[in-house]
Amino acid sequence: MIKYDHVAKTYSSVPVIRDVSFEINEGDLFVLVGPSGSGKTTLLKMFNRLTVPTEGNVYYQGKKIKDYDLQQLRLQTGYVLQDSSLFPNLNLQDNIAIQLEQQGVAKAKRHQRACELLRAVDMDPEKYAKRMPNELSGGEQQRVGIIRALAAKPTVILMDEPFSALDPVVRRQLQDLVLKLQKQTKTTIIFVTHDMHEALRIGTKIAVLKDGVLQQVGTPQEIINQPATAFVKEFFHGHGFHFSLNAVLNDGLGKKTSTASDDLPVVTAKKLEELFVFCRDHQAQQFVVQADDGQYIVKRQDVWDYLIRREENRA
Amino acid sequence: MLNSIAETLHAQQGAIIKATEQHISISLLSLLIAMVIAIPLAILLKDHRRIAEACLQVAGIIQTIPSLAILGLLIPLVGIGTVPAIIALVLYAIMPIFQNTYAGLTEIAPNLEEAATAFGLTKWKKLQRLELPLAMPMILSGIRISLVMIIGTATLAALIGGGGLGTFILTGIQSNNNTYVIIGAVLSAILAFFFSWLLKFVGSNPKRLRIGMVAIVILLVGFGGYKGFQALRPAPTKIVIAGKMGSEPDILIHMYKDLIQQEDPQAEVTLKPNFGGTTFLFKALQSNQIDVYPEFTGTVNQQIIKLKQKTGANPQKTYQLAKRELARRYQMRYLKPMQYQNGYALVVSPQFAKTHQLTKMSQLANYNNEITAGFDPDFYQLHDGYQGLKQPYGYHFKNVKTMEPAIRYQAIANGRVNVVDGYTTDPQITQYHLKMLQDDRHFFPPYQGAPLMKESFAKRNPRVVAALNKLAGKITTKEMQHMNYEVTVKKKSAATVARQYLVKHHLLDN
Repeated sequence: MIKYDHVAKTYSSVPVIRDVSFEINEGDLFVLVGPSGSGKTTLLKMFNRLTVPTEGNVYYQGKKIKDYDLQQLRLQTGYVLQDSSLFPNLNLQDNIAIQLEQQGVAKAKRHQRACELLRAVDMDPEKYAKRMPNELSGGEQQRVGIIRALAAKPTVILMDEPFSALDPVVRRQLQDLVLKLQKQTKTTIIFVTHDMHEALRIGTKIAVLKDGVLQQVGTPQEIINQPATAFVKEFFHGHGFHFSLNAVLNDGLGKKTSTASDDLPVVTAKKLEELFVFCRDHQAQQFVVQADDGQYIVKRQDVWDYLIRREENRA
Repeated sequence: MLNSIAETLHAQQGAIIKATEQHISISLLSLLIAMVIAIPLAILLKDHRRIAEACLQVAGIIQTIPSLAILGLLIPLVGIGTVPAIIALVLYAIMPIFQNTYAGLTEIAPNLEEAATAFGLTKWKKLQRLELPLAMPMILSGIRISLVMIIGTATLAALIGGGGLGTFILTGIQSNNNTYVIIGAVLSAILAFFFSWLLKFVGSNPKRLRIGMVAIVILLVGFGGYKGFQALRPAPTKIVIAGKMGSEPDILIHMYKDLIQQEDPQAEVTLKPNFGGTTFLFKALQSNQIDVYPEFTGTVNQQIIKLKQKTGANPQKTYQLAKRELARRYQMRYLKPMQYQNGYALVVSPQFAKTHQLTKMSQLANYNNEITAGFDPDFYQLHDGYQGLKQPYGYHFKNVKTMEPAIRYQAIANGRVNVVDGYTTDPQITQYHLKMLQDDRHFFPPYQGAPLMKESFAKRNPRVVAALNKLAGKITTKEMQHMNYEVTVKKKSAATVARQYLVKHHLLDN
């Protein structure tokens, strides 16, 4: 559906993308991952022509991107930036419906769509529709940033490190939100991140980039099990299916706490497996994990969710 | 001081309101034009950094040119009056508005610009929904800076007949009347404060801003409609009469107006008091910006015809010469003069006069070494002035300072000098109890005032000529001095004083 064909880009004779080719299928949540400066954002922006390749072409449904009418292309492409980039002078419903406004959709319909989307992400339209962006938390703003990209029912959504500025708990919530929305809408998403955790957690396919060179494209499992280069192996080392207890807890499974709570059972653990064993043997819905770097409150349900998602990824 | 301000405010109420209105309309019109130029220009250039920087440079340079110089440069191009004043003000106002609009538009966060571009918004949509709203506070503050500056600078419009509160300031300086200066200055400061506050208030939230914009549009449409309506109406005879700075011309032109309207009640007479200096008024007359103004015979000979020698001592001959030359060289008609002679005079302080028993100018030569004189720079240089006086009277004063006419009387009242030049009808002579010396060797040429107009105008308007001729041979020096005193010191309005005189001398019915 989307094809990058021998694409290269140089900025004043410095190459930032070197001969990159890959394909994205419809309904993919395609993650471009790599350290900063690897050229992943440059590749992303080639799709909506915010950057233009010096060599090669990007194809969308068999037609060169550069042959599309630019405005039409952009109006039908969702875009989520690193910080929500909501227009500070517009209220939420006007922000969400800005692409519809450009398309000439009537005001009543625009607001209806905005409310529908707010409801979909558990933000009461009665309460939120007329609020201004600066009245929201960072997580809420980015949530609105995501539904703004959905407003025009695009076939492709581009996301440029959308969660990198958020704290782990909110990040996890929004990752779940993106997974949920994508499942509902079957929209193709190209997602840029420098966080391999995030890539493994949400990607159906992952492309690993380093210094403008494509290292590997594959499913999360392929990336972990058959790293194509030493860099990929190094980059994902100790992650994926060998998550450490601390990493998983910090990634949002647990909630760090400083005060010990008398009511909850306590488990001292060094490995993930010890946590699973505890869950198997105890019925408590919540408990405290005493890990190397502190205490975490963990919900039993979250542990099962985590295991299920891991299995899904493996499949 | 406060009393005299209150008196003036009361007596000049009409004139003050009119000047304030003029001031506001000149300022706001200039501001509007500047906005219409500067804001779209900044929008156009926001993506062309080099050109924009160049524009900023040019605008900056324009701003450094003194406003007086700009006004002067504009006179030969667009004449006098409101138009050059507005052009100059617009030139000044463009810079802050342009600069702020440009800065406001270019300082928008790049991620917002990128978002708008990526969403496929057109340039216009981007401008409307993102850039202008975000730049609005900056634009408004630019407009406010310009507005305050315009209201201040608009006082200079009076110099070229543009009217406004500057008229009061200028009159005050010319006639050494601080009350006028204070009224003009304070009112223009109040205007600046008020409009600055108004803009801030209106711009402080989007709803008010929207209401404000609608109000401006309605006002503009109304104003345009009114002007259009006026232009379509058949115009009655329109006569524009101007006068130089000071109370005396002001009184005279009010008399002209009353007399003309008595003769022809349909005539629409517009007065432009305190319109400017000799050269300026004469040019205005030549270019048909004004129709009539009172001029002195001696001034015609010295400053318009520019005779190379001293004016003769015979008033009749002086008038005839002026009349003949004006008709020959400029096709102008110079009507018959009034009686009073407003010539130069030497004036001494009461103490000095008393000490030496002074009554005649010839006596002064005995005290050359005790004299510190304060002279108007013109008087100091003219053949009719000090340079001509030296020889017949044997003057070589120990100390001669040249100073602005306005402060001469202050200087002699404060004892800084003991001799000054003056005009025989100056009210300050009475006000400060000064002693005017008799010109016993008949040196000073007699200056007589008479209405000056184009020959073509005189032919077209015989009734105006007839009306103005009623003043020929009227008004003595004493009477004129008294009327000047009434206006300058007693703060009566020129219109009242003029009318009282005409009625008293049966020149005007009622």
